[in-house]
Amino acid sequence: MDIETLKLCGIVILLAPLAGAILAGALGSVLRGRTHWMAILGVGAAFAASIVIFIQVHGAHGEDVVASIPLYDWIANGTPSVFRFELLIDPLTSLMLLTVTGIALLVVIYSVGYMREHGKPERGYERFFAYLSLFVFAMCVLVLGGNFLLLYMGWEAVGLCSYLLIGFYYQRPAAAAAAKKAFLVNRVGDFGFGLAILLIYLTFGTLEYQPVFELVRQGITGDGFAVSQGTITAIALLLLCGACGKSAQLPLHVWLPDAMEGPSPVSALIHAATMVTAGVYMMARCGAIFSSSVTAMTVVAGIGAATALFAATIALVQTDMKRILAYSTISQLGYMVLGVGVYAADSAIFHLFTHAFFKALLFLGAGSVMHAMGGIIDLRRFGGLRRVLPWTFVTFVVGSLALAGFPMFSGFFSKDEIIHHALIAHPLLGAIGLLTALLTAFYTFRMVFLAFAGEERIPDGVHPHESGVWMLAPLCVLSIGAIGAGYLGIEATGRGLHEFLKPVFATTFVTNMPAYDVHAGHGFWAEYGLMAFSGGLAIIGILAAYVIYVQQQWFAGLTKTTFPQIYWTLWNKWHVDEAYDAVLVKPMRKGGKVCVGLDDYLIDGLLWFITAIPRGLGYLLRTMQSGLMQGYALSMVAGMAIIIVLVFWS
Amino acid sequence: MTGITEYLILGAILFALGLVGFLSRRNLIVIFLSTELMFQGVVINAVAYARLHHHLQGQAFALFLLAIAAVEAGLALGMIVMLYKRKGTLDAEAWSVMRG
Amino acid sequence: MTPVAPYLLQLLFALGGAGLYLLLPKSDRSRALPGAVLGLLALVGLVVVLAARVVVPDATSFYFYLFASIAVVAAVRVVTHPRPIYSALYFVLVVLAVAALLVLQGAEFLAIALVIIYAGAILVTYLFVIMLAQQGGSPLYDRNAREPFLAVLAGFVLMAAIAGHAGALPQTAVTPVIEAQSMIETSANTTPPGHTAEVGLMIMTQYVVVLEIAGVLLLVSMIGAIALSRKKVPVPERGRSQPLGQIGREVEPY
Repeated sequence: MDIETLKLCGIVILLAPLAGAILAGALGSVLRGRTHWMAILGVGAAFAASIVIFIQVHGAHGEDVVASIPLYDWIANGTPSVFRFELLIDPLTSLMLLTVTGIALLVVIYSVGYMREHGKPERGYERFFAYLSLFVFAMCVLVLGGNFLLLYMGWEAVGLCSYLLIGFYYQRPAAAAAAKKAFLVNRVGDFGFGLAILLIYLTFGTLEYQPVFELVRQGITGDGFAVSQGTITAIALLLLCGACGKSAQLPLHVWLPDAMEGPSPVSALIHAATMVTAGVYMMARCGAIFSSSVTAMTVVAGIGAATALFAATIALVQTDMKRILAYSTISQLGYMVLGVGVYAADSAIFHLFTHAFFKALLFLGAGSVMHAMGGIIDLRRFGGLRRVLPWTFVTFVVGSLALAGFPMFSGFFSKDEIIHHALIAHPLLGAIGLLTALLTAFYTFRMVFLAFAGEERIPDGVHPHESGVWMLAPLCVLSIGAIGAGYLGIEATGRGLHEFLKPVFATTFVTNMPAYDVHAGHGFWAEYGLMAFSGGLAIIGILAAYVIYVQQQWFAGLTKTTFPQIYWTLWNKWHVDEAYDAVLVKPMRKGGKVCVGLDDYLIDGLLWFITAIPRGLGYLLRTMQSGLMQGYALSMVAGMAIIIVLVFWS
Repeated sequence: MTGITEYLILGAILFALGLVGFLSRRNLIVIFLSTELMFQGVVINAVAYARLHHHLQGQAFALFLLAIAAVEAGLALGMIVMLYKRKGTLDAEAWSVMRG
Repeated sequence: MTPVAPYLLQLLFALGGAGLYLLLPKSDRSRALPGAVLGLLALVGLVVVLAARVVVPDATSFYFYLFASIAVVAAVRVVTHPRPIYSALYFVLVVLAVAALLVLQGAEFLAIALVIIYAGAILVTYLFVIMLAQQGGSPLYDRNAREPFLAVLAGFVLMAAIAGHAGALPQTAVTPVIEAQSMIETSANTTPPGHTAEVGLMIMTQYVVVLEIAGVLLLVSMIGAIALSRKKVPVPERGRSQPLGQIGREVEPY
C-alpha cells in the first residue's frame, strides 16, 4: 500500500467532516437552508477517501495489509511518544470507514428532506448539520486511530455528539433528560474503559495497538516479565465494560431506548449503524487481548446472548415504532457481541456491516412515517399506511425482511453465521440465539403489520404524504444494500468479506480458539441444515405475526388479558430503569442532600463561627461609642481610678 | 484637733459626690452644677494644704480657681442655652446621636 | 493622732456609696428612705471614726464636723434631687458650708469671695438659666439617673483610693485660727498684717502675672458668652404677640 496516499486519505477523512462541521456552525446563520452542503461535502469527501483507502487495502497482500501511519507527537514522552497521533489502516479499519462514511452520507442526504417542515428548514437546521459532521469526524478518529489514546478520544467525542444530537430538541424536557441519561450511562462504561487503558499502559508501557497486541500474544509485559492471566482477564473485562456502555449491552443498555428522543436521522446514524457499533469494533480490534482469556470470552458471549434475548422480549410489546427499533438494535448488538465471544469476530463484523444497512433503513423509514404522521410514532394511533406511503412501505418491508433473517436477505447470512459459531462453542447460547431470531422476526413484522397493513387509520388533523426525493433516495440505496450486502459475506466464494478480514483476525481469534468439536460444526448438513432451520424460524415468526395482527386481530390483545403480569413486566422493560432509580439514583440524591446539609451546617457554620468573632468584638466595642458624653466621662474616671489605685497601692 | 486627714477626706467626698452627679444625672444644668461641686472639694483641699505648710500659695490657687470657675460657668451656661434652643430639651442624651 | 485604718474608711465609704446609689433619682420607686438612712449612718460612722482618734476633744473640731456634715448632706442633695432648682439651692448651702470651713482655716477673704462670687453670681446665673430652660412638669431625664451603679462605683473607687491614702498620712495638726498664729511666718518684730492684706500682697507681688491672665480669661469668657448666644431675632409683626414660651424659639442658632 502506498503510505503517502493512505496518509493523505486519512487526513482527508479526519479533516473534511471537521471542516464541514466548523463551516456549518460558523456560516450557518448565513447559509441557512443551504447549510447541508457543508455537511454533504465534508462527509462526501470522507467517503471518497474511504473508497480510495479500500481500494488500496484490497489491493495489498500479505504483511502489507496493515499500515501504521504516525501523524505527529502530541506530547513528547520519549521516543516513540506515548501520546502520539497515529493511524492504523488495515482491512477492518477500511471496512468500518466505508460503513461509517457511507451510511453517514446517506443520512445527511436524508436529513436535508427530514429536517424541514413544509419545505422550510426547521429551527436549528444549521446546528444539526454541524453536529452531524462533527459526529462523523469523531467516529472516524475512533476507527482510524492507531493507539488506545485516539480510540478513547474518539469514544468520548462520539459520546459528546450523541449527547448533543439526542438533546437536539433541547427545549423538550424528555429530550434533555434522555441526552443526560445517555451521557451518564456511557460515562459509567467509559470509566471501565479508562481503567482498562491505564492498566494496559501500566502493564505494557505503551498504548499503540500493534506493540501491545504483540506483547499480549507473547505473554510478556513491557519490561519483559511474564504477564499474569489475571491481568489480561481484568483488562479484557474492563474493556467489555466500556463496550457495554457504548454498545448498550446489559446492564448499561438503558440509555438507548430513551435516545429515540432525538430526530430519526440521528437514531439511524448513531444509534443503529455507527456509534453503538464502536463497542463491537473495539472488541474486534482488541481481539488479541480478549481471545487470550477464556473467562473473558465466556463472559462476553454470555452478556451478548442475554442482551439479545432480553431486548427481544421487551420489543414484543412496545407500541412506539422507534422504541421497537431501538430494542431491536440492542438485540442485534447482542448478537454481535455474542459473535465476538464465540471467537467469530469476523462474523460479528459481518453482522455489523449488514445491520448498518438494514437498521439505518428501518430507522429512516420510521422517520419517514413520523414525518408523514406529523410527529406521531405511536403504533396505536395510526395504521394501514401502505397506500399513503408506498415507497416507504416497500423499503421498510425490505429492511424488516433483512432484520428478521428472511432467507436470501442480508440479515439472514450474517445472523446465521453467528448462530452457527455459537452452537459450536456454547450450545446453550446458540439456542438462545435461535429463540431470539424467532422473536426478532415476530416483533419486526408485528410492527410492519400494525403500521402498514389493515385498514387505514390516520390521526385527526394529519395530512400524510409520501416523502420527498431527498428522503426516498437514501431509502432506496439502503434497501439495495440491505438485500445485497449479505452476498459479500458468503464464504464459499473465497473472495468475500471473510477473506478480506482474515489477516486481521488470523493471529488473534483464530489461533486462540479453543479446540471445539470442529467436526460437529462443519458438515454439509450442519451448515445448510442450520441455514434452513433459521430461515424457517424467520418465516414462522413472520407468519405468526401475520396471523395474529392481520387475520385474527382479536388474538392480539390476548396476552394482555391472560398473562397480565408477563405483559406488564415486558412493557415496563423488566423494571430495569426503576431498579436503577431505586438502587442508584435515589441513594445518590440522598447523599447529595446530606452533602448539602453538611455544607450548610458544618462548613457554613464554621464560617459563621469564624465571622462571629469580629462580629462579637465589634458588638462589644460598639457599646463604648455611645455618643453620650457621660459614658466617655465614666470611662475616663474609671481609668483614672485604676491608675490611682495602682499607683497608691503598689 | 482636726488634722489634714479630715480635710482631705472631706475634699475627697465632695469631689467624689460631684463626680457621681456628673456621671449619672441627665439634666445638663445639674451636670455642670456637679462640676462646680467638684470645684468646692478642690478648694477645700487646696486651702487645707496651705494651712499645713504655713503659706498662702494654696489660697492663691483657690482664688484663681474661683476665677476659672466663674469663666467656665459663664461659658457653660451660654452653651446650655444654645443647646436648649436647638433641641428644646435639656436632656444630655438628646445629643448622643452620632452622625457620619 | 493615730492614722486611720484604711479598710474602715473604705467600709464606711461603701456604705455611703450604697446609700448614694439608693438616693439617686429613679422614677418608679421611692427608695429615698433606706438611702437616706444608709447615708446618714455612713456619715455618722465617719464622724465617729475620725473624731475618735482625738485624745483631747476641743470646740473647733465640733465646728468642723458640723459644717462638714452640712456640706456633705447638702452635696448629696445637690446630686440626688430630681428638680434642678432644688439642686441649685442646695448648692448654695454647700457653698455657705464650705465658706464656714474656710473661715475655720483662717482664709476669711477666700470665704467671703466664695460666697459673693459663687453663691451670689454664679448660682444666680444658674437659677436664671434653669428658669429659662425649664420644661413643665418633671421630665423623664430628671427623674431617672443614668447608670447610677457604675457612676457610684467609679466615684467610690476614686474616693477610696484618695481618702484611704489620706488616712495614712503622717499627722500634723492643722491648727484652727482661733488659737493659732498667723499663716505667714514672720519675724517676731513686725505685726502680721490681716489675712486679706496678706492675700492681696501675695497676689500683687508673686502672682501678678496670673492675675492678669485671669483677667484676660474673664474677658475671653465674656466675649465667648456673647458670641455663643448671638442670635437673630425676627421682629414680630405688630399686633401678633407670641406666647411666652415661644419667644426666641424660631431663631436660627448661631
